[in-house]
Amino acid sequence: MEPLLKVENVTKRFGGLMALAEVSFEVRPGEILGLIGPNGAGKTTMFNCIAGVYKPTSGDITFAGKDGVVRTNGLKPEKMTGLGIARTFQNIRLFGALSVLDNVRVARHCRTSSNFFGAVLRTRSQKEEEKAIIEESMRWLEFVGLAKHALDNATSLAYGNQRRLEIARALATGPKLIMLDEPAAGMNPRETRRLVDLIHAILDAGVTVVLIEHDMKLVMHICQRLAVLDHGVLIAEGVPEAVRADPQVIEAYLGRGAAHA
Amino acid sequence: MLAKLKPVLFVLAAAALAYPLMPFSNDYLLHVVTLVLVYMVLAMGLNILPGFCGLLDLGFVGFYGIGAYTSGLLTIHYGMSFWVIVPLACLNGALWGVLLGVPTLRLVGDYFAIVTFGFAELVVLFLTNEIWLTRGPLGLPGIEPVSFDFTWLNPDWYFELIGEVPYFYLAVAMVAFVWLVMRRIEDSRLGRAWFAIREDTLAAASCGVNILRYKVIAFAISAGIGALGGAFYARWSLFLSPDMFKFWESFLVLCMVVLGGLGNIAGALVGAVVLIVLGEGLREILPILGLAPETRFLAYGLIMVLIMRFKPAGFFPAIATASARNPLIKDLKKRLAGYASGEKSGTAA
Repeated sequence: MEPLLKVENVTKRFGGLMALAEVSFEVRPGEILGLIGPNGAGKTTMFNCIAGVYKPTSGDITFAGKDGVVRTNGLKPEKMTGLGIARTFQNIRLFGALSVLDNVRVARHCRTSSNFFGAVLRTRSQKEEEKAIIEESMRWLEFVGLAKHALDNATSLAYGNQRRLEIARALATGPKLIMLDEPAAGMNPRETRRLVDLIHAILDAGVTVVLIEHDMKLVMHICQRLAVLDHGVLIAEGVPEAVRADPQVIEAYLGRGAAHA
Repeated sequence: MLAKLKPVLFVLAAAALAYPLMPFSNDYLLHVVTLVLVYMVLAMGLNILPGFCGLLDLGFVGFYGIGAYTSGLLTIHYGMSFWVIVPLACLNGALWGVLLGVPTLRLVGDYFAIVTFGFAELVVLFLTNEIWLTRGPLGLPGIEPVSFDFTWLNPDWYFELIGEVPYFYLAVAMVAFVWLVMRRIEDSRLGRAWFAIREDTLAAASCGVNILRYKVIAFAISAGIGALGGAFYARWSLFLSPDMFKFWESFLVLCMVVLGGLGNIAGALVGAVVLIVLGEGLREILPILGLAPETRFLAYGLIMVLIMRFKPAGFFPAIATASARNPLIKDLKKRLAGYASGEKSGTAA
């Protein structure tokens, strides 16, 4: 099957620090890919390269969006969102002073078009667009189970719900691929179970998922495939069972010698 | 609380609108109120940058000056009508906003503030030194007042606005217009993009907002509104000089916005009233106390210190309040109320 996202020999340097070295993997449509690795392995850097926050020093990232396969290196984040890649952040980045609904409404920006004149003159098309924005936003808030909080302030939500709101916001951009950066971080077991259900629902909605996660139980349970990074190098890729047994992976997590212990 | 105040505010507004027509109305008071209205326009214009987008702009007065001189020069040299000049001045202000914004809006925070500060200084230097155009420090006297020219309908219908009363109403109309524009922008795709930039630039970009473009739009609109205030001011005061557009004015308008609450349009209006009335009041009171009128700047400084200490978010900290009035949101609110009281929400997860 044609991969949705293809990462080929991507290197990212920050001065003398090699954050990613010749990393290659692919994401297939309709799967959940887990990107794992110890702290500082370069997982979030990889996300940032894919999302357009960083430009890879070398290598290619191609994405099969609506307009066919596009090489996306160096495209800006808003462009990537437009192409159909949405993301959440490791440390929650909500628009704190805005309401829950407004957070999601902002995400419709890339799929709507009314401008200054529409806003001031309140043209019919602007009004219809606003109505559609609210409908679509409420649909995604209902999807993550936050509809009843729609008009509350975003920062008034409980921690787990703030994470869910970030996911709703990402989904509202109409993506083909969603990248979740440690979605279960700081969640209690109940919240984590609800998150697993939510991720399956996202998949059912036709959106491919890539996630960074440290909760190994969660990762092994829901991911079809895993890619393992260590010190910026891809050390393993494959189904969870194979990756778990890989000596290099065990070494990366537990230290040299552990693989043979 | 605001709902209870509504009738009171309504009566106050009606009284203020009727006051100039009363036989006991006072020209000085009207002048001060008109000045307040001009600063309301400026405060609403500036509010877009630090309030909506989180950009510290110390050079707003530059656009005010550009608008005022555009208006003054077009009047003196070409005798254009005020109604033609206003859009031209706004466009000229917005043009300079774009010219300044495109290269500099890539800067963030303090660096950007310094650039805008430099721009305002440049405008003053230009106005002072380009004597062939602006007559420099001599200023521009003899600007025609605003007039209505209906002679194409009836040869007798030519009305010149003289005295404070018509300008008061003109300024009220201007404030109402800018208020309406700002409220509508606040509750729109454009306004939400700005708020997103203010709250979290990276998250805004990953929602698909082109950060630079929306900052430039904000800068252009803000500059256009500043120029609108300037265009009115030129035709009202009938005299312009470069020292009317010194850095101090930028700071004053910024204080109004901060005092009212960054990002809150009503707050900008309240800030304008408080600071202008305070300034005029102190100008009267301080000489009685044996102090120079200039010591009022000390009072401004003290007020800013006190506000930052006790109310750092200003008097009206809420942002994006306009959408609560949108019928679509009101409708949603009703639906949600039904939702909560009815069956528990059936959700995907």
